[in-house]
Amino acid sequence: MYGYVRPEKGELKVKEYQRYRGVYCGLCHHLRHRYGPICRLLVNYDFTFLAMLLAGEEEEIICSKRCPVHPLRKYPCLSSCSELDVAADETVILAWWKLRDGVRDERFFKSLLYRAACLIFYRAYKKAAGRRPDFAAETQAQMERLNHLEDAKSPSLDETADAFASILRAAGECGTGERSRILGELLYHLGRIVYLLDAADDLAQDEKNGGYNPLCYRFHLENGKLSQQDEAALRLTLQCSHNSISAAWALLEPSPYSEIISNIIYVGLPAVTQAVFAGTWRHPKRERSKL
Amino acid sequence: MNDPYSVLGVSPNASDEEVKKAYRDLARKYHPDNYHDNPLADLASEKMKEINEAYDEITKSRKQGGNGNTYGSGNAYNGGSAYRQQRGSYNTGYQQRSQTGSNAAYAQIRALINANNLAQAEAMLNNITVHDAEWNYLMGSVCWRKGWMDEASRYFRTASNMEPMNQEYRQAVQYMNQGGQAYRPTGYNMNMTNADTACNMCGNLLCADCCCEMMGGDLIPCC
Repeated sequence: MYGYVRPEKGELKVKEYQRYRGVYCGLCHHLRHRYGPICRLLVNYDFTFLAMLLAGEEEEIICSKRCPVHPLRKYPCLSSCSELDVAADETVILAWWKLRDGVRDERFFKSLLYRAACLIFYRAYKKAAGRRPDFAAETQAQMERLNHLEDAKSPSLDETADAFASILRAAGECGTGERSRILGELLYHLGRIVYLLDAADDLAQDEKNGGYNPLCYRFHLENGKLSQQDEAALRLTLQCSHNSISAAWALLEPSPYSEIISNIIYVGLPAVTQAVFAGTWRHPKRERSKL
Repeated sequence: MNDPYSVLGVSPNASDEEVKKAYRDLARKYHPDNYHDNPLADLASEKMKEINEAYDEITKSRKQGGNGNTYGSGNAYNGGSAYRQQRGSYNTGYQQRSQTGSNAAYAQIRALINANNLAQAEAMLNNITVHDAEWNYLMGSVCWRKGWMDEASRYFRTASNMEPMNQEYRQAVQYMNQGGQAYRPTGYNMNMTNADTACNMCGNLLCADCCCEMMGGDLIPCC
């Protein structure tokens, strides 16, 4: 969805990078297999992370497949498994509600585009919601809650982030027990970070277009930017959530993806945060490496 | 009970040093300081108990000359008991504090927070109309556990401003100002805040200077 949850490639071993790529390709193929070729476009880093997080201790099965982006070579790719089922279904559900959100938020012409996209994904959404009724209901409820908070111009970072974070918590629900509790806590704080980073990233744009942004109401902006003190407060609350993620991660049993997930949590997330605050996140990759 | 060696993640042929190192690393990972006011604190303390027991069992059996190939690790055990004591003081933390509180309702709320029953604790707090320092502190604790850290920081600060001398409130503010705490394996030390950059360099230098002076040397001659 957002792409904030990604590994720092330079710090991965080559075999781990390939394994990560295998999951990413697996999710892409799985989306096509379950929901048709267009839904392939929804593949993203965040739900790749979810698929790895949900994976158990057993080794995965790898097959090799071709894809439209690389038609000449076959690439190793994770073959279908229950984690990919969950990740694919939830990708479609969340994407649909994000589109609905766009229909509501954007101006007339742009919202027409969102409407068109909704039509295209409608059948896939119905199918996915049938498979994961609990997640679909929770997403709908929290998105509506978020809309209410936006309309009321809520000045609370925590409450608005809570709505989005609760969706991610629901995404990792796998029955009851300790594992589910730990995953819920980890994903809640991940959702919180993603929401707040997105708000920080959109700040300048929202200021220009007059869109709602919780940071505008929580802090006092100076020339469309956070003051140093406010930025420190925002970074601090992100740090708190980041430590909660690390604390929860330490309690999970090791899996084949442990190294990659550690990289994402300990290196990837802080690097993305730095980039967002430095204002270099939205630059294309080539420019970012120059900066 | 599980095999103590597999709990510590070492082979039964490991030397005493290796066992000790594995134990220390795990103890650092599940240390109660990393799970202060964390809803998963109970799971961490269970893990801590497990590795303490496993370590005890290994040292005991090796002392008796059981299956150890290198013998005599009496001192290693003491390292363990230090962790144990800290855990003990944490677990009783809330109960001990509650005796100092004057209000019976606050004691009940502390018990609810301790049992992770945050919804009820919050409802009880909302029923109290007088918002004194302790009320703010407890509200901060509820928010922190819920993951509402921005609001928690405001409540903790208010509590500490109302009663600046209170050690408990001061500690909460301090813990929060460093953004909480969590285990990080060696090699991963990136941070979300800027705390470790140039701003902190002077402070670190001064600290180093103080340490040197204490030992008789001097790092910065002019102070």
